[in-house]
Amino acid sequence: MIELLNISKEYNSVQAVDKLHIKIQPGRICGFLGPNGAGKTTSIRMLMNIIQPDEGEILFNGKQDRPNAVEIGYLPEERGLYQKISVSETLHYFAHLRNVKQAHEKIISILDRFELQDRLHSKVNELSKGNQQKLQFINTILHDPEYVILDEPLSGLDPVNQLLLKEILEDMKKAGKTIIFSSHQMEQVEKICDDVALINKGKLILSGSLTQILREYGKTHLQVTPENESDLAHPVLTEADAAIRNGSAYILLSGRNKSDLIARINKAMDIRTIKVAEPGLEDIFIQLVKGDHK
Amino acid sequence: MTFLKIAWFEYLRRIRSKWFLIGTFGMPILILGISLIGGYLTGTGAGLETKYMGMIDETGIYGQQLIADLDIKYADEDVPPINIALTKGEFRDLQEQFDALVKEHSFDGYFVIPMDFGETQQLKFYAQSSATMRSTDVIAAELRQILTQERAASLNLSPESLTKLFVNVDVDHYDLGASEARDTEELIAGYVAPFIFMFLLFLGIFTGGQLLMRAVLEERSSRVIEVLLSTVSYNDLMGGKIVGLGMLGLTQSAIYLLAGVIGGYYYDMSIVTAGIGSLYFIYFILGYLLYAGVYIGVGALFDSEQEAQQAIQIITFIAVIPMLLWTLVIENPNSALVNALCYFPPVTPFFMMIKIAVGETTMFQIVLTILLMLVSVYASIRLAAKLFRTAILLYGKRITMPEVIRWLKA
Repeated sequence: MIELLNISKEYNSVQAVDKLHIKIQPGRICGFLGPNGAGKTTSIRMLMNIIQPDEGEILFNGKQDRPNAVEIGYLPEERGLYQKISVSETLHYFAHLRNVKQAHEKIISILDRFELQDRLHSKVNELSKGNQQKLQFINTILHDPEYVILDEPLSGLDPVNQLLLKEILEDMKKAGKTIIFSSHQMEQVEKICDDVALINKGKLILSGSLTQILREYGKTHLQVTPENESDLAHPVLTEADAAIRNGSAYILLSGRNKSDLIARINKAMDIRTIKVAEPGLEDIFIQLVKGDHK
Repeated sequence: MTFLKIAWFEYLRRIRSKWFLIGTFGMPILILGISLIGGYLTGTGAGLETKYMGMIDETGIYGQQLIADLDIKYADEDVPPINIALTKGEFRDLQEQFDALVKEHSFDGYFVIPMDFGETQQLKFYAQSSATMRSTDVIAAELRQILTQERAASLNLSPESLTKLFVNVDVDHYDLGASEARDTEELIAGYVAPFIFMFLLFLGIFTGGQLLMRAVLEERSSRVIEVLLSTVSYNDLMGGKIVGLGMLGLTQSAIYLLAGVIGGYYYDMSIVTAGIGSLYFIYFILGYLLYAGVYIGVGALFDSEQEAQQAIQIITFIAVIPMLLWTLVIENPNSALVNALCYFPPVTPFFMMIKIAVGETTMFQIVLTILLMLVSVYASIRLAAKLFRTAILLYGKRITMPEVIRWLKA
């Protein structure tokens, strides 16, 4: 478990991180979410012991001592690779620094899994952006770390490789690793994370399990698309305070009997589709930030 | 020993690169090549020009004799350095005309042999540029000879007696206890070797510093620094880099010194003695570490190589001092100025190396300068570590001088 206890960091009188308080559970993937400049990278750097917080403390498994390098895998946002050496040299060097046993076998096997086996002797700057990102990720997890900290890990990856990365993270999660996944792309986080921490302007605005947050803050709507657009003005919809967007009516479900409402609409008009629209993190985030949630 | 892993990585990746081979072997070949080509060109006379000079001879005697002597002197030269157009006459009548000829570049300048030249020995020379300085020396020397002969004749001395008057004294140089005099090669080596030692030290220390700065900038701009710092400590990272690139410089120096030993053996000269060799390595390591701190500190402050290079220029100015003053040190190794500069740490290794190579230093001075360097190295590395720790992760931000001073004081 990693605990950030009220950590703060100021840069030139700008409060980059303001009393951030988060607990990250082992065996779960925790999403660090927020727009660019929210303080995610600064928090991660404090976590990585690259910079020191002005106040607050960071505990790993309840202890102030940092785990040693062998137990941490860190993927910084963008780049983070020597450009002029080969894939093999890169992975061997870091494996050597982290005391990985049987490094060569491990390197070959993981490159194989990422379909990079034939690029072993390619220079890093000869790889595509996506392949460089894969190499970065491999370099982060090659030593099988206990704590995995990923800053924008999906950038540059195509959907197939995003899926592969997700699979690997699932495996690591099952093995009880503590994983932090920082991103500004909320849909990705929704697909991968178990817990989320929403950060804005250095402050934590919301944290907890993803499903719970969606249940609690997400406003579920009924989305009705009639065959005839004229039916959007039907009293059964207007009386329910429906919002009309792109040929569909959206009715807020909270406090209403869903099946009764559907039955009434069905009776009143010809329906093309009718479905329950799940709320997204992005909606919640915007709603919370705009509502100046404390 | 994590820093040794880093050092080894930095060392291997550079020693394997073609630039190390080019730098190590290409540089001496290039310098040798340039001197050989320069020597060859000077020998062939390419690049030389004939100076066209006017001459107004008021005496009507010396000019003609001079031309005759010059003709004999330059008989074998394809490109005679000086070509003189002689006119007999009065300066005040001809001045305007000759000035005009110089202005339109028909002449590079003109001489005037005044009427009373025989008594005063004062020659006059008029010209627009100073590119004719050497020619005036040649003409003056020739005229001196003519005057000497003239006076010898007036004293009834025969030309044979005259040659007896001019004698040369040669000096044979012996090493203490040696039975054979040193030959010319040894004498030249004795003068040039101290410079070569200093130059190698200079080359090694500043190439190492530059590489170090570039390595820091590379890791900073590629953000590898973040991955590294999540894996190793600041001290290991900085120490590993300094040691790795230092080993590279030592390898290079060892190759050169070995070449010196082999060369010395071949020509039967002992240029690289065990004492000089080991002191070379000591001063190399101390000088390298002193500058390593400076280069690493500067590397940590800047985002682009261009900015860092500009900032480091001031260091380069200090480093040029030994390159400017090396002849002074070889010829006056015990002067007060040279001794004082030996205790100025940025140039200590270079000046001491020259003094050691010419054999003009004391054990006391060696020990004292080494102690001084150790203290300076400690300060330089400590300050560099402070900058490295504070600034290395501040990307895209212009760092101001007051900030740097505050960090250094911290």
